[in-house]
Amino acid sequence: MTWRSPLALVRDALQGQRARERELRSLVSNLLYEGLEKTKQPNRFFLSNAIKTTKYSLLLFLPMNLYEQFHRFANLYFVGIAILNFIPVVNAFQPEVALIPICVILLLTALKDGWEDFRRYQSDRKVNNTPCFIYSRREKQYMERRWKDVRVGDFVRVVSNEIVPADLLLLYSSNPNGVCHIETANLDGETNLKQRTVVVCERPNNNLNHFKCFEKPDKDKVGASIESLLLRGCTVRNTNHAVGFVVYAHETKSMLNSNGSRYKRSKLERKLNVDVFFCLLLLFTMCLIGAFHYLWLESLPGVPSFLVPDSNGHLDVPSLESFYMFITMIILLQILIPISLYVSVELVKVGQIFFITNDIDLYDEETDNRVQCRALNITEDLGQIEYIFSDKTGTLTENKMVFRRCSVMGTEYPHKENEEVIFNQHQQLPRTRWSLESEGISPADTQQHGRRRKSKVAANAHSDVAFSSPLETEVIPDQKLLQQISRAESSGGRRDGNRNFDPHLDFFLALAICNTVVVSMENAHRQRTIAEAEELCYEAESPDEAALVYAARAYGFILLARTPDSVTVRLPSGEDLVFEVLDTLTFDSNRKRMSVLVRHPVTKDYVLYTKGADYSIMELLGTPYAQYHLDCYAKDGLRTLCITKKVVSESTYQSWLGERKRAQAAMECREELIMRTAVQLETNLTLLATGIEDRLQENVPDSIVALREAGIHVWVLTGDKPETAVNIGYACRLLEEEDLVINMSCKNKLVIDGNTLDIAMSPDLQQRFIELTKHCRSVLCCRVTPLQKSAVVKLVRDKLKVMTLAVDGANDVNMIQAADIGIGISGQEGMQAVMASDFAISRFKHLKKLILVHGHWCYTRLANMIIYFFYKNVQAYVNLLFWYQFFCGFTATTMFDYWQMIFFNLFFTSTPPIMFGIFDKDVSVEVLQGVPELYRTGQRKGEYNFLTFWISILDAFYQSLVCFFIPYLAYQDSDVDLFTFGMPLNTAALFTILLHLAIEIKSWTLVHWAIMLGSVALYFVVTLAYTAGCVTCNPPSNPYWILQSQMADPMFYLIVTLCTVVALLPYTFHVLKNSVAPSPLLQGRQLDRMDPSTRDQWIKEWRG
Amino acid sequence: MASSYKDEDGHITVSGSGAAAGAGGGSLRSKKPENTAFKQQRLPAWQPILTAGTVLPAFFIIGLMFIPIGIGLYVTSNNIKEFEIDYTGVEMSSPCFTCAQNFSWNGTKPCTCSVPFHLDQPYESNVFMYYGLSNFYQNHRRYVKSRDDSQLNGNEESLRKPSKECEPYAKHGNKPIAPCGAIANSMFNDSLELIYNDPNGTKVQIPLTATGIAWWTDKHVKFRNPGAENTNLTVVFQGTTQPVNWRRPVFQLDSDPDNNGFINEDFIVWMRTAALPTFRKLYRIIQRRSNVHPTLPRGNYTLEVVYNYPVRSFEGRKRMILSTISWMGGKNPFLGIAYISVGSVCFLLGVVLLIIHHKYGNRNNAAEISH
Repeated sequence: MTWRSPLALVRDALQGQRARERELRSLVSNLLYEGLEKTKQPNRFFLSNAIKTTKYSLLLFLPMNLYEQFHRFANLYFVGIAILNFIPVVNAFQPEVALIPICVILLLTALKDGWEDFRRYQSDRKVNNTPCFIYSRREKQYMERRWKDVRVGDFVRVVSNEIVPADLLLLYSSNPNGVCHIETANLDGETNLKQRTVVVCERPNNNLNHFKCFEKPDKDKVGASIESLLLRGCTVRNTNHAVGFVVYAHETKSMLNSNGSRYKRSKLERKLNVDVFFCLLLLFTMCLIGAFHYLWLESLPGVPSFLVPDSNGHLDVPSLESFYMFITMIILLQILIPISLYVSVELVKVGQIFFITNDIDLYDEETDNRVQCRALNITEDLGQIEYIFSDKTGTLTENKMVFRRCSVMGTEYPHKENEEVIFNQHQQLPRTRWSLESEGISPADTQQHGRRRKSKVAANAHSDVAFSSPLETEVIPDQKLLQQISRAESSGGRRDGNRNFDPHLDFFLALAICNTVVVSMENAHRQRTIAEAEELCYEAESPDEAALVYAARAYGFILLARTPDSVTVRLPSGEDLVFEVLDTLTFDSNRKRMSVLVRHPVTKDYVLYTKGADYSIMELLGTPYAQYHLDCYAKDGLRTLCITKKVVSESTYQSWLGERKRAQAAMECREELIMRTAVQLETNLTLLATGIEDRLQENVPDSIVALREAGIHVWVLTGDKPETAVNIGYACRLLEEEDLVINMSCKNKLVIDGNTLDIAMSPDLQQRFIELTKHCRSVLCCRVTPLQKSAVVKLVRDKLKVMTLAVDGANDVNMIQAADIGIGISGQEGMQAVMASDFAISRFKHLKKLILVHGHWCYTRLANMIIYFFYKNVQAYVNLLFWYQFFCGFTATTMFDYWQMIFFNLFFTSTPPIMFGIFDKDVSVEVLQGVPELYRTGQRKGEYNFLTFWISILDAFYQSLVCFFIPYLAYQDSDVDLFTFGMPLNTAALFTILLHLAIEIKSWTLVHWAIMLGSVALYFVVTLAYTAGCVTCNPPSNPYWILQSQMADPMFYLIVTLCTVVALLPYTFHVLKNSVAPSPLLQGRQLDRMDPSTRDQWIKEWRG
Repeated sequence: MASSYKDEDGHITVSGSGAAAGAGGGSLRSKKPENTAFKQQRLPAWQPILTAGTVLPAFFIIGLMFIPIGIGLYVTSNNIKEFEIDYTGVEMSSPCFTCAQNFSWNGTKPCTCSVPFHLDQPYESNVFMYYGLSNFYQNHRRYVKSRDDSQLNGNEESLRKPSKECEPYAKHGNKPIAPCGAIANSMFNDSLELIYNDPNGTKVQIPLTATGIAWWTDKHVKFRNPGAENTNLTVVFQGTTQPVNWRRPVFQLDSDPDNNGFINEDFIVWMRTAALPTFRKLYRIIQRRSNVHPTLPRGNYTLEVVYNYPVRSFEGRKRMILSTISWMGGKNPFLGIAYISVGSVCFLLGVVLLIIHHKYGNRNNAAEISH
């Protein structure tokens, strides 16, 4: 170890700081410096690739964790109270003991944090030790190293299917085109392949010892943009191996982008905080009883021998004395604020989340996804939902596009056969679609079904998810159209030159060419072999593109390969045509279309194929002759796309090319200019039209009906046309046939489009709009932008003060974040919604169980537990102690041993409510799903509201009166001593508290029995041991042999029994209510007791 | 309470073997949750529903059990004979009036007074003699903690250096006080004697037993004299001083060495602080001597009081109580009455519930789930 002067260390640190903060970084290859000590390394200032997501370190865990915990107001409060104990004037029995509860709480939380951090540490270590290949100059080959060894300036080789360890500048790819395919599923969830191109520069070797990155392309130097950057976390696909230069190690783009889970506060918790505040007020009111101490002192005629002067032998004046008494009362009665409440609530939520994520019904086999709870503390909000805002595409629908119908040259081809197959599939085998398809791979089968071609790729997709998104690809060709094509084919075969004038052929060529679909093989290693058409796999950026390519394939126009410069298409005749791609005018949201300019290999024509949303194309056409068909498609709920063709003359092309180049070279407004050139070319098109269906997900109508019966307003916000939206609305039973549809373009349903919505949302109309929607069972908003979506959600949430939930399967982050609960559906499009969501599910139908069952359970469990918690703390000690003050001169004496008081709240009575909050099941899954109306009990105020809170407090007062005054009257004027008097009180309180809970518990499992009986046993065992073992260990309080002598006295049992019975007597009212006017939930529970078949019968009858 | 053990639609615990399905590819483990009864929240459960029909039996059982218990308690309590006499001396006519007026803790000459009383009926079994104090807050927070248990347990170190909880009764002058603290300092120090005025004119002193009045554990475990081997308490307590209000040191409380010092039972009884401001403490036991004569025959008695204990400063009262006791302790009709009334209420409620059950019980679940 070499010694370095501290000066050098400081200098180094400063240098490093400067190097990291510089706008432009010079990166030097490490190869030249290999083997040198660390101080000589040129890239030593940059952080290494090892990641550390842990919050704490081993040494600093305690101070840092405590610092975080003290950010919580409650913890500060409790520490403050504990410190009050150390003030001498309050005469605390054992100030140290008062610290125990808060220490236990802090310790528990610290343990939880520590465990979480340890898990992070473990996952970090796993990531850091992932192997990778780094070039070593000494060994002249790539050496296997770990991720954490990767440093800025290294050359790293990645092979196919490997995850990229750091942000790499792509230098070499085994792909002859210099392309490397990557999948970014780990980053944004998009499963389609993206191309990255190699930076054209020298082969990585020791010559390359200085390398610069430029943001903007320069004439002479090679520009390196995002196009040649492999981001950490991506997976390399379809490329045997690639080599990259490490640009960012620790500060990778993905690391900088990742942030922890969000912290939301649930409605219940907000209410809880208000009630804790009420308790605080109650506490102070009760403490004012200390003032009576003053009166009591004043009423004494002399100085009796039981008044103890201070150590100097002086008695304080009564007023000061009673002020001290006030403070003493605070520390005595402080348990009114349940110290363990917050910890218990957190524990309960952890348990609830455990059960939600472990629900097998919310597991999706296809994608191997469980439900993800990303926000950890709003489970109970799921039980109070009143409004659901849903996107359409990818949420209600599969976002698996299927080619349905098309209209070519004004002729409609309805593809009837197709619909039948789909229909049958849905009828018979809704869940085994995949197996059905894989069956169809056998050639015999294919023939039997009459030229039914399909890709087995989709069927296999889920077993090999990485290669292809599982698209619905089945298309059965329309016979009429097939005939048309074969006729054109045969005629075209004779007269070569005219072939492509047939619009039908053109239509399918356009489908195959006009897209950005990447063709990949099933097995990346066999990449260079000529693959059979059946084994092709299409990677599309959007599912509709893929659908069109598959459709073309069904008619025999097979897209074989796509490189940046060419497209290879196989014609039905078996001939392969290679089109030269001159330019691709990519899709943008302003134009809403994309175009591909190709050169026909036979005719040498310049052909422009354009594809886009109907309205964006229609404006470019001279004659809107297919409009009628388009409207029909929309009415059927299909998504419509228009395909157009234009032949460009040589001269037009050349002049346009010049302009295009100029636009591309421009330094400013480059994007805009490029777009403008695109618009220039896209004129005077000829139309070919198609309709695509986005199939509804399974069980969507059923789920929506159930949610509506549960009293939830369902709003669908979609970007589709009103006709399409209304249709989907009917399809998923958002709208019913007999409903009155108010078209704002409602008694029951409201359909509103984007422009109208804008007007309705204006401040002066807002209120009336909301009033109107309140009377509507469901609302459909069409043609709305993401911004409008979030505005609508916010409006409803704020104006109506309701719990809102937003579901989205794609990228509507705004809407998801605007709602109280955001739910993401991990579907086909990006994962952004999932990333921003609080819960992520894989199918819309899971929403039904998530909300109706888990939401209901989580809410009722937590609500009841919190109410019980308040009751328990008010009843158990605070009030018993309070009543006792009237008999001890308001001097804050306790009739329990101090340790027992601590134990009582901390151990004897703390586990049952937690168990109650995690395990209690009021109504079974079947009934909750069968009778969604039960969900309404949790909405609005729910079970935890002002009334229930105060009733439970009153109940607690009553019970404490009983538990105090029955022993008081029984022991009046006897020789009972302080702790002997306290013991039956204590025991009666324990039994009352536990039996109260026992009555509240709706279903008793083994866990319940064990915990309840365990608590009682624990109480007796611990107390017996404590009172037997401690003779003088706990001065000045001495409970020696108290419980033993009490348990030998029949009076003890008689008093405890009487107290418990009388305290629980008001439950008779409950029983009466249950018998005379049973609540919906109780009826649900009665349903539960029937055997399943009767129950189903009953539900059916009742529904009917 | 209705009980129906059942399993949610017949699922009994299913083992989680299904989770392995589809996990063919070695490292790729399926995320499918285990299908176990616990994780799917399908543990067999007992689901009682509280309705009139189901809780009816409980009410009748409670009613039928409580009423006899209550009657038993009431009868027992009534059979207990108790006699109580106030000798505070507040009224002018009271024999102890003079003593009550001329009080001082340190008065050298004890003041005595005789209070005559009459027992209407003979007391057969052992009779317990209590003194009662009212308005004396032995449960005052500061008072309760003003003691040193380890000193009382015979700890030599605490004897020399009492705990600071005893302040300001820890030291007197420079000497540690034994026993220290306010509780010991305020110990009840009246002495009571009972004289039976035989109808034939003789005065018979009733023999009073001063032992067996404290808890056995207190006498043998909690309280111990310091210097375990040394029986000479005078030597043991040398260097300490008596509490300020005491007239003699702790080692002179009784002539019996087994009832002297810290293990003096009067002292032990006093140190067990009362829970309520009006309390009684066991003073003496009058043993039954023969099977022929009652322990205390009917007739006239005199209570001879050595009046030492002041109560005027807190408007307290001093009483002497004679009581026979039963298994339920002293006379207290409350518990019996309470049991009888609660039992009756439960029984009545049971009847009400029975009516309701007949009226509404047959109405099954056809009731609509309200919207």
